[in-house]
Amino acid sequence: MTVKECYELADADYNDVMNRLGSEALVKRFAVKFLQDRSYQELTEAMEAKDAELAFRAVHTLKGVCANLGFKRLQEVSSELTEKLRGREFEGSEPLYEAVKIQYDRVIGAITQLAEE
Amino acid sequence: MRDKILIVDDVELNRSILGAILENEYTIVEAENGKQALELIEELKDEISVILLDLIMPEMDGMQVLAELNKRKIIGMIPVLVISGENSYETEKECFDLGVSDYIAKPFNNVIIQKRVKNVAGLYEYKLQLEEKVEEQTAVLRKAYQTLKIQTEKLHRNNQKIVDILGTVVEFRNLESGEHINRVKKYTKILAEEAMKEYPEYGLTPEKIDTIVSASSLHDIGKITIPDHILLKPGKLTKDEFECMKSHTTRGCELLDQIDVEWDPELRQAIYEICRYHHERYDGKGYPDALVGEEIPLSAQLVSIADVYDALVNERCYKDAYSAEEAYRMITHGECGVFSPKLMEVFRKTRKQFEMLKKYNK
Repeated sequence: MTVKECYELADADYNDVMNRLGSEALVKRFAVKFLQDRSYQELTEAMEAKDAELAFRAVHTLKGVCANLGFKRLQEVSSELTEKLRGREFEGSEPLYEAVKIQYDRVIGAITQLAEE
Repeated sequence: MRDKILIVDDVELNRSILGAILENEYTIVEAENGKQALELIEELKDEISVILLDLIMPEMDGMQVLAELNKRKIIGMIPVLVISGENSYETEKECFDLGVSDYIAKPFNNVIIQKRVKNVAGLYEYKLQLEEKVEEQTAVLRKAYQTLKIQTEKLHRNNQKIVDILGTVVEFRNLESGEHINRVKKYTKILAEEAMKEYPEYGLTPEKIDTIVSASSLHDIGKITIPDHILLKPGKLTKDEFECMKSHTTRGCELLDQIDVEWDPELRQAIYEICRYHHERYDGKGYPDALVGEEIPLSAQLVSIADVYDALVNERCYKDAYSAEEAYRMITHGECGVFSPKLMEVFRKTRKQFEMLKKYNK
């Protein structure tokens, strides 16, 4: 699997990240590193514990990381959830969280494949 | 050697990405909040070339870090580039107000950041080198200035010596000593300093007093033109002889005009005044120009008193020495020339100093 293919699978923007990181070696390195990123886990825990503050910060961080790595779709849904949680209220955030979950799993799936090869 | 870059961001991935593109040319040091950052800066402040700073962090955020860096005068020594997801005009402006070198929005372009870092690092290296050089040069200049000052003072003293030698050479004919000149200078100084205190309207300053005292050495330079038989006559002078003697004032000025040197203008003026007018009288009955009252320049008035006093209390070829009491009486009673009431007051006040000087200055 090439990095480009991985990005297509994850519904992410390969060209964008290549521009910004400069080399494919770096893109691969950090995409794989994303597997260890804890922002999504922290978001999930916070949603369960109904901690709006933590949830906000976690999804805000997640959004930033996605922006850096070109994970466009995941960035979009993270962004929507971030704005929803900015007021630190959970009202109406559940469906948005679900969208994030879907995209996150998709990205993880693609990268795991890349990492194995 | 500034070979380190400090990257401050609470998200590990961000630090890694930034580090990845800079680690070829620099050693990367990382901090995950403001507090850690400040500790590292304190420890490595002579080794850090650039600081990359995130704004939103727990424990201590970027703004607080910037405020602290300003306090510690690190801003200006190490360039700070803020890299932030915070994209508001106010924040950006505030960062620049706090002295950052650049403000970069997230998501950032690694390639461009590398170039900006290189730019600003190079700039600061140059700036610091320049500042060091200026400091060195300033030290050199300061030393040179000191040397110059010493040389100038030496020159000044030497010039004064020359003037004194001139006066002494002339006086030697009829006095066989140069001590008269020294004493006149000292008496003049005593009078002038007291006058400066008592009568500020005279406008005397220490510099002006120095000039007058210097100039007084040449008050009788015109005597070089007076023939021996008149200058050294033990008895009273005839009318014609006296007229000749009187001319030492104007002849002295002629002599001055002949001297083709670059005088200090104040000094030249004082020498001329003293030479020409030190025999004028306050009531207008003096010579050569019969000036009245304050028409007589202050410099000449001062030297006049000093000269008369020294003549009275010392032997001359035409008379014996008077005592200090007699000299004092004669001067204050107008028996040896008429002086301004103000200066008589000054003379009265400084009587003790005059007598001390006379006693210890044979």
